[in-house]
Order: sequence, then C-alpha cells, then structure tokens
Amino acid sequence: MADWGRTTLELLVQELQAPVRLDESFDRRVMVRVRRLYAERRPRGVAGWIAAAVNVTRRPAYAAALAAGVVAIATVGMLRSRPTSVAISGPIPVQFVLVAPEARSVAVVGDFNNWGLGDTALVAENHNGVWSVSAPVPAGVHRYAFLVNGEKWVADPTAPRAAGDDFGQPSSALVVEATAE
Amino acid sequence: MESSDAVLVARVLHGEVNAYGALVSRYRDKYARYAVHMLGNREDAEEALQDAFTRAYRSLARCEDPERFGAWLFRILVNRCRTSGARRVRRGQTFIHDETALLNASQEHPAEQTMWREEIERALGELSADQREAFLLKYVEELGYDEMAEITGVGVSALKMRVMRACDRLRILLREVHSG
Repeated sequence: MADWGRTTLELLVQELQAPVRLDESFDRRVMVRVRRLYAERRPRGVAGWIAAAVNVTRRPAYAAALAAGVVAIATVGMLRSRPTSVAISGPIPVQFVLVAPEARSVAVVGDFNNWGLGDTALVAENHNGVWSVSAPVPAGVHRYAFLVNGEKWVADPTAPRAAGDDFGQPSSALVVEATAE
Repeated sequence: MESSDAVLVARVLHGEVNAYGALVSRYRDKYARYAVHMLGNREDAEEALQDAFTRAYRSLARCEDPERFGAWLFRILVNRCRTSGARRVRRGQTFIHDETALLNASQEHPAEQTMWREEIERALGELSADQREAFLLKYVEELGYDEMAEITGVGVSALKMRVMRACDRLRILLREVHSG
C-alpha cells in the first residue's frame, strides 16, 4: 500500500507515470487510416500510363498532355520531349517518368509544386521499376528534378539542365507552352 | 541506429508512407498514458490517439520543426482529448473508471496497489477537465509552464492556478479515502 512517509502527491504522480501500453493492433489500425489517406491523395490516372501513352484517345487527360508536348520522360539514358502548342488555358497535365528499378520511392519536385515542400511532392507510382506520375503544370519555363528514396536528388539525365541549380542540386528544364492553335 | 523524427517525417513526406508506422510505434505508448488518464477510459483514449496520429499525418507538411514531431503530435492529442471530453460531457457521460487501463498499468506493480490506483483514477475523475489537463501536463508529463501554455493556448498564470487547485483537490480527495 502507499508509503505515507512520502507525500500523497509524489505517490500519485509515481502511479500515474506508470506506462500504459497499447498492443500492435493499434499501429495497424492507425496505418490503415493513414494508407487510406495516402491512397486518396495520390495523383490519379497514372496506372496504365504506358497503354495510355500508346492509345491516347482513351484518356483525354493524357491526350492533352501529349498534344501539349509536355511529356517529360526520363529513362536511364533516354528522354523524349515533344513540345508543341495547344489551345489550352490553365495548367496542362504533364507526365513524368523515371526508370529506376532499385528505387524505393520516387517523387517529382519542381518550382511548380514548391519543390515538394509541405505536402506538395508528387509521389510516383512504381510499375516494375518504371516510376510515373502525372501533374498539372502551368504554362511557362520550369525546373524540376526527381527525388529518389526521399533523399537523392536526381536531375532528369537527358533533359536540358537548368541553369543555376536550385538548392545546390541539379535540376532539369521543362517548357510548357499553352498557345492558341 | 534509429532514425530521428526529422528523417522519418521527411521520408513520409516523400512518399514512404510506411515510415509513418515507425513514428506511431515511437509515440503510441508514451501518449496513450496521457489520453487514458485524461479521458478515463481506454476506448476513448485509443480513439483520440488514433485521431491525433491521423490528423498529424494529414497535416504533416505543416509540422514546422520535424525534429520535434513528438511535441507537435502531443499538441494535437491534447486538443483531441479536449474535444473527446467535451463530447462525452454533452452525451451526459461521466469520467469512467477503466479497469483495463488500470490492469494494464499495474502489471509492474504488486496486486495490493490496485485499490490505490482505483482511488487515484476516481480522484482524477473528480477534477474539472481543465484542472485534470493542467495537472497531468505538469506533473505526469513533466512539462514546464511555458510548454504547457504553448500546447494549451492558456496563459501561464491561469495554468498555475489550475495546477494548484487540482493539487489541493486531489489531496483532499485522497486524504478522504485514506482517512475514511
């Protein structure tokens, strides 16, 4: 029973400071909620991007992106970029692709998403080592890079290198045009 | 080596959602204690803690100092406990003595202390929510008054008053138990 040689307050605090343990099912329940939120916030329409790129008529968003010529595809040693002009106002969907089979995660950061600060990083989906994400980008000249595994900043290896690297890290240039046909 | 909070937060923000699990494991038990004592029952406490973790994840980008993720999370939890407590009051419920929590907390203690723990939980339940919050933050979580003010948004003077009144009330309540 209580040691009344000590103050009631001390004994009270000692008792209240005893650990309260939750089991691991708590973690699982939290992570179910978190993963659901994560899934809801991921950019949509990326799955099946290869098929979409082949048959753009099935996917208007991709068709617009391709027509706009703002597809930035970075592969190891291969880049395709086909800038053209379209009559689109406002941000234009751009698809970013990086082949990185060893990566655990890939995100796109650029001046159009505040360099991924806050919750603005564009998280790419992995398709057998091909990471892809689509995002609306306003017309203009932009800088961007891939963030691999949350720490390695990788410029698009085949895209034009942007002059004056931001944050002391290399970045690539992206031109998005939105002019009348 | 364990990753720091800042590293884990950065990994989560860059798409490694599973890294958030490490933060959950790190703070789960530490903050469960506060929620259980504040709300008086395990079910509400777990719900408040789950809400806190979920809200923290949703707003992770707004965590200005990721190295202090734990403190930021705790502030969210304190608010969730306030909301949960207020909701319970509206439902007309009283502070619930939680046998499960007590048993859980008592695993490292002799069985004869069970009654003492029950007395403590009951006495805590007799405090107003403001007093209970201030007392737990000050003495159980061992925060300074400045930290408490930052977390609760209440002035230091008011917090000191709440703590003092909580202590006085607890002394009376526990003395009554032992003298009765």
